[in-house]
Amino acid sequence: MQLQDKYRIALLSAYAIAIHSFENLLPTPIPWLRLGIANIITLATLVLYGFRSAMMVTLIRVILSSIFIGTFLGPGFIMSFGGGVISTLAMGLTFSLLPRLFGPVGLSLIGALFHNIAQLFLAYVLFVQKLEPILIVSPILILLGTITGVVNGFIGGMLIKNIVKRSNS
Amino acid sequence: MRLEVRRGKKEITEGTTVADKLLIVALMIISLSGFIFIKNVFPQGTDVRIEVNGKSAYRLPLNTDTTISVKGVIGDTVVEIKNRKVRIKESPCPNKICIHNGWVDRGAIVCLPNKVMVFIGGSEDRQNKTIDAIAG
Repeated sequence: MQLQDKYRIALLSAYAIAIHSFENLLPTPIPWLRLGIANIITLATLVLYGFRSAMMVTLIRVILSSIFIGTFLGPGFIMSFGGGVISTLAMGLTFSLLPRLFGPVGLSLIGALFHNIAQLFLAYVLFVQKLEPILIVSPILILLGTITGVVNGFIGGMLIKNIVKRSNS
Repeated sequence: MRLEVRRGKKEITEGTTVADKLLIVALMIISLSGFIFIKNVFPQGTDVRIEVNGKSAYRLPLNTDTTISVKGVIGDTVVEIKNRKVRIKESPCPNKICIHNGWVDRGAIVCLPNKVMVFIGGSEDRQNKTIDAIAG
């Protein structure tokens, strides 16, 4: 890994941690509802610098912000870790297997969907162990994930456009 | 810091693609059909209705844990709701069959001496309610 890549990852991780921590302070109508704004950084990193950098940024973001917030290794951390890793993996696979099929919005939607699937699975295996509440919650989560995924995708697209424009000029 | 952008992937920045829109529509359809599916599969047991002497006395949600005391004909019957299940905790009736019924998550518990009836169910399955036990 080159020095420049390290700088990039450090900078992007810092942004992601700031957004993630800020998001944790926002009150939400339902306690487990998160906007996933930090995913914008992962998305932009993936599109601009590739899968390895994106995964690195996600891992640093999830681990460090959980230490800052104080949820490290707790149930919230496990959910956040699983969701982050699986969604980055899904976005990375989509991006490398079907390179020009999806734009930022599509990638963000895939990320949001797999984030929800991973969290529902973890919640089922670790905490709830009953299928009924998971099934009842999942359509709501998928719907909300679609809405936030589209918004984050648009913002991510604008961010990518901006970075590309600046670096080319 | 200079940013390098891979030329081959520049098309990704060109906004939404057809596949993006299809994905949005597909996810919307999945979640909406999920709502309909769940409404049809889990219609049972949404609230608890308590009748005293044939008259509706209380209507409580099944998903909130509470304990209430219901004034019956010969005394107070204590009904407890916990973990989406209902039981009669205390009853002034002589043989306590309603208490021995234990935790019930569907159907009904009836205490005849005190004329207290506890029904579990949503508003739509009133017609197929079954009585689990009659305490004489």
